[in-house]
Amino acid sequence: MATESENLESLVNRRYEHGFITDIETDSLPPGLNEDVIRAISARKHEPPFMLEWRLQAYRQWLEMTEPAWAHVRYPKIDYNEISYFSAPKSDDDRPKSLDEVDPKLLETYDKLGIPLHERARLAGVAVDAVFDSVSVATTFKEKLSEAGVIFCSFSEAVQEHPELVQKYLGTVVPRRDNFFAALNAAVFSDGSFVYIPKGVRCPMELSTYFRINAANTGQFERTLIIADEGSHVSYLEGCTAPMRDENQLHAAVVELIALKDAEIKYSTVQNWYPGDENGVGGIYNFVTKRGDCRGANSKISWTQVETGSAITWKYPSCLLRGDNSVGEFYSVAVTNNLQQADTGTKMIHIGRNTSSTIVSKGISAGRAQNAYRGLVRIMPQAHGARNHTQCDSLLIGKECGAHTFPYMEIRNPSARVEHEATTSKISADQLFYCRQRGLSEEDAVNMIVNGFCKEVFKELPMEFAVEAQALLNVSLEGAVG
Amino acid sequence: MKQASLSIESLREVVRRLPDNGLTSSREAAIAHLGEHGLPTLRDEDWKYTDLSPLIEISNRWLTAGGRQQPSELPRERIADITSSIDAIWLVIANGTIDARSIATVTHKGIEISRFSDAPPPFAVSRPLADLNAALLQDGLRIRVNVSIEKPVGILIVDRAGESAAVTQSCVEIQVASGVSAEFIEYHASDGDGDHYANSVLSIGVGDGADAKHVRIQNRSLRHVQTGQTSIALGRDSRLRIASYDLGGRLIRNDIDIDLSEPGADVGFDGLYLAGDGQHIDNHTRVDHRVGPATSSQEYRGILNGNCRCVWNGKAIVHQGADGTDASQANHNLLLSDKAEIDTKPELEIYADEVKCSHGTTVGQIDKNALFYLRARGLDKRHATQVLTHAFAADIVLRVPVTGVKDAVTAIVESRLAELIEEDAAADLLS
Amino acid sequence: MLEINNLRSRIDDSEILRGLSLSVRAGEVHAIMGPNGSGKSTLAQVIAGHEDYEVTAGTVTYNGQDLLELEPEERAREGIFLGFQYPVEIPGVNNAYLLKAAVNARRKHQGLGEVDAFEFLKLAREKMATLGMDPKFLNRGVNEGFSGGEKKRNEILQMAMLEPSLAILDETDSGLDIDALKAVAAGVNALRSPERAIILVTHYQRLLDYVEPDYVHVLSQGRIVRSGDKSLALELEEKGYEWVREAANA
Repeated sequence: MATESENLESLVNRRYEHGFITDIETDSLPPGLNEDVIRAISARKHEPPFMLEWRLQAYRQWLEMTEPAWAHVRYPKIDYNEISYFSAPKSDDDRPKSLDEVDPKLLETYDKLGIPLHERARLAGVAVDAVFDSVSVATTFKEKLSEAGVIFCSFSEAVQEHPELVQKYLGTVVPRRDNFFAALNAAVFSDGSFVYIPKGVRCPMELSTYFRINAANTGQFERTLIIADEGSHVSYLEGCTAPMRDENQLHAAVVELIALKDAEIKYSTVQNWYPGDENGVGGIYNFVTKRGDCRGANSKISWTQVETGSAITWKYPSCLLRGDNSVGEFYSVAVTNNLQQADTGTKMIHIGRNTSSTIVSKGISAGRAQNAYRGLVRIMPQAHGARNHTQCDSLLIGKECGAHTFPYMEIRNPSARVEHEATTSKISADQLFYCRQRGLSEEDAVNMIVNGFCKEVFKELPMEFAVEAQALLNVSLEGAVG
Repeated sequence: MKQASLSIESLREVVRRLPDNGLTSSREAAIAHLGEHGLPTLRDEDWKYTDLSPLIEISNRWLTAGGRQQPSELPRERIADITSSIDAIWLVIANGTIDARSIATVTHKGIEISRFSDAPPPFAVSRPLADLNAALLQDGLRIRVNVSIEKPVGILIVDRAGESAAVTQSCVEIQVASGVSAEFIEYHASDGDGDHYANSVLSIGVGDGADAKHVRIQNRSLRHVQTGQTSIALGRDSRLRIASYDLGGRLIRNDIDIDLSEPGADVGFDGLYLAGDGQHIDNHTRVDHRVGPATSSQEYRGILNGNCRCVWNGKAIVHQGADGTDASQANHNLLLSDKAEIDTKPELEIYADEVKCSHGTTVGQIDKNALFYLRARGLDKRHATQVLTHAFAADIVLRVPVTGVKDAVTAIVESRLAELIEEDAAADLLS
Repeated sequence: MLEINNLRSRIDDSEILRGLSLSVRAGEVHAIMGPNGSGKSTLAQVIAGHEDYEVTAGTVTYNGQDLLELEPEERAREGIFLGFQYPVEIPGVNNAYLLKAAVNARRKHQGLGEVDAFEFLKLAREKMATLGMDPKFLNRGVNEGFSGGEKKRNEILQMAMLEPSLAILDETDSGLDIDALKAVAAGVNALRSPERAIILVTHYQRLLDYVEPDYVHVLSQGRIVRSGDKSLALELEEKGYEWVREAANA
């Protein structure tokens, strides 16, 4: 009979499929961080003065801050002067104007990633804004979107074309000095996505961004800003990959979501950054600040994340429930294997009346990985009638991994109803035997049971990405037996 | 917010004047350790919800006034009340001093009682408040139970505050010999108008195959501050049941650390905290499952009314190789006032896979339908609230593991609950 | 089809099967009866390949091949079906999904093409109708929140879909009301054919009123102590298991 360790081995030895390096010329700044670097980034992007000022203030604040140490993750100290803060594919002209102008090598890259921009995007009705290293290289479906009045463009373009919107909303959800990594991002972010959905508009298609880190010694610091004006609705998906490199690479992104009255934003992430090899060499440090602000009454922000990559994940997509009756949701599947470490969860801050939040977190830990859920539910004194339900389950596969739960609940209103449940389990031998008796291989049985374990989260993903997420999970955990 | 810091210099001065009864070296080691690490602040993860400023302030006032160790008037009546209402073999620590007369009355041959000064224990690095305890301790009490006894052993830690601020320490070591069944009561009480800070340290060792039960009642004056560090180690196939009741105190912080390093150990602990205006009650528990199989289960319940804050932090750590661990945590809270705050955090850290771990936490209020039902049956709102609040507390009260103390616990929980609901009624009238 | 020779098996440190021999030919229905703890369920689990049961001696051949060499899923694909006494719940996993995966695993092994979703659903609905099952069952989690009777019917549905060569039903009749029992019996009878064999593991004679066995074996202390035709079951019902124990000790 195949032993558990053999199967675990096959899981551990599974190669990272997206780990190729694209050989194209890049225009990079030399490693190092100081005010001149920030001025250079801003100048290259032809930014208006307010942006430069904003960046410089962020940088000065960052200098005063210390790197957080409270997360359940361990890594060697990062030298921020060894990182290059800007890397753009070098093209003859400034930037490609349309898909046809995109460097074919880049398009090939996306093909290898399984996102052929031409077919798949069109077939799936998805508009893709692809960020390669630091600048946005191609945005599709612009016209169809602009008919609806939707603005979907790179952050750089938004700074040029819609400075009033950027200036009005930038940093209003994640302030510059929110935390160490957010401050760093504010100082040096090079690009990202910008979305504005006008009043009453239901965005006609799913919006999507793919991020990829290619250049060596480069940090990726993108910034996403999504504004859903009153009564609007948008669903947004981001996917992430990075090539295999021996050194660790830093990804410190910021995502800000703003939902005004009666608006709804659904933000889904499939994160598959390079996790490092089986000995923990290489991999992305994914230190990300994501926060949504339910600013208006009856607004809703829903985060769904499937985290399978990165050497270290440090992210807590959160909701500020300020509008009365606003709703926050967080659905998460986090898979760690080999020496991956994840400290991820959410914060639900209830401020408005009759606000409600739901947290469903599924952590799967295998190999020698450490997987922690960290969450905060805070009910402010004025948040009358607040509701929260949290379900937090961990699945352990193997004897050397860890699964941890750190839920904080701070309740300051007597009308609050807060419930938190957590369980930890392994795949039961009975479940496995039952499936095998029905003719399924051990691997298929494990995949099926793990997918069942994650079902509540997968059903929140847009259809085409749910399929991708399941496939990703199967790749990560093939044949693992607890 | 900058927290006041303990005056180490004054502490050193006060400790220097303590009589040398063999504890001097451990006192010095404790001061050195404390001087190096200081007391925790709100920046420390385990202390983020509890500001120690009140006790630091009391300590500094007391230390700079000379740290007088001589007891003021002993609360004789209080002692008599408690020891006569609960049938137990009582040992008394009053105003930080072990009452020699109470030791003399213990004639049971199976119980060995001694003082730290008879055989000073080596200084062991511990938590900061335990350091403070070791530095200022006059003498500690050792209790060893060698044969199974019918009657519970009671430890009464009682203080009477005088006019000026005072600080008292108590340290008790309990050891239950292998295969022995024993019951314990730990009772904290205080009265008097002055500011008072009581700091206690307790360790319980349960021998192989032993069966121990421990009831802790904290019923201090609502003006007083108490911190307690309890360390528990269980032997192979041993069993321990604990119930803890926090009813009084202005600022209360309890740390319970349970070490499960032997297979077959089974520990269950329950807690109830009742907080009204001006109270801050913080319970931190930590269970280290180092081997399996072993079982730990805990359930804390809290009822909060008025301007108060409670903290519950339960941590279960399942170390690598501790297969067969079964750990469960539950914390349920009833919030009755818009000025009350509960901060609750059930934590699991798991490094083994053959485990069964779960936790559940709820925060809510009295079921409106149930309240309506009772009122429809003719109970007034206050009475109905009381009935339902009692029902919420009843599970923990009924689980009191030491039979002889059940009536006493029921009585003080009921009387404290009645006070809490009165507060609510008063608030209703004012609003 | 199935030849068991002098089989010994233990779980942990206790020996459950102590030299059991049994021969089952295609087309036959065997009933295995015996008191609690006699080893009935162990026999079923060993045939299906549960790893908790260690085989210490003896042989089991199935259609000429050494069954003990095969993984549980290989046995299943070769046509061995175990109806579990206590079917496990698998949260989040769709009943239809498992069933389709199982059907296709078997078909693939047989060199047949996989059934598509449409064919599968059509087939499943037909089988469910004959078993008196609500089609909604397909969309629920595997045995998740099922009553005892629903779980057992679900086992029979799976058997009907998988069309095994050798079906072993481990106390599928226990805890069923009369309607459920009849439905289970109908499912079993529908499967009877000259190519197939069925082993009914049961504590009571009740099921045998509806599914008539060719042979009845009485198991005691890990061995078959009596074999006969269906009249043996009636005799057993009348005299009780005490009678068997005495016979075994004699």
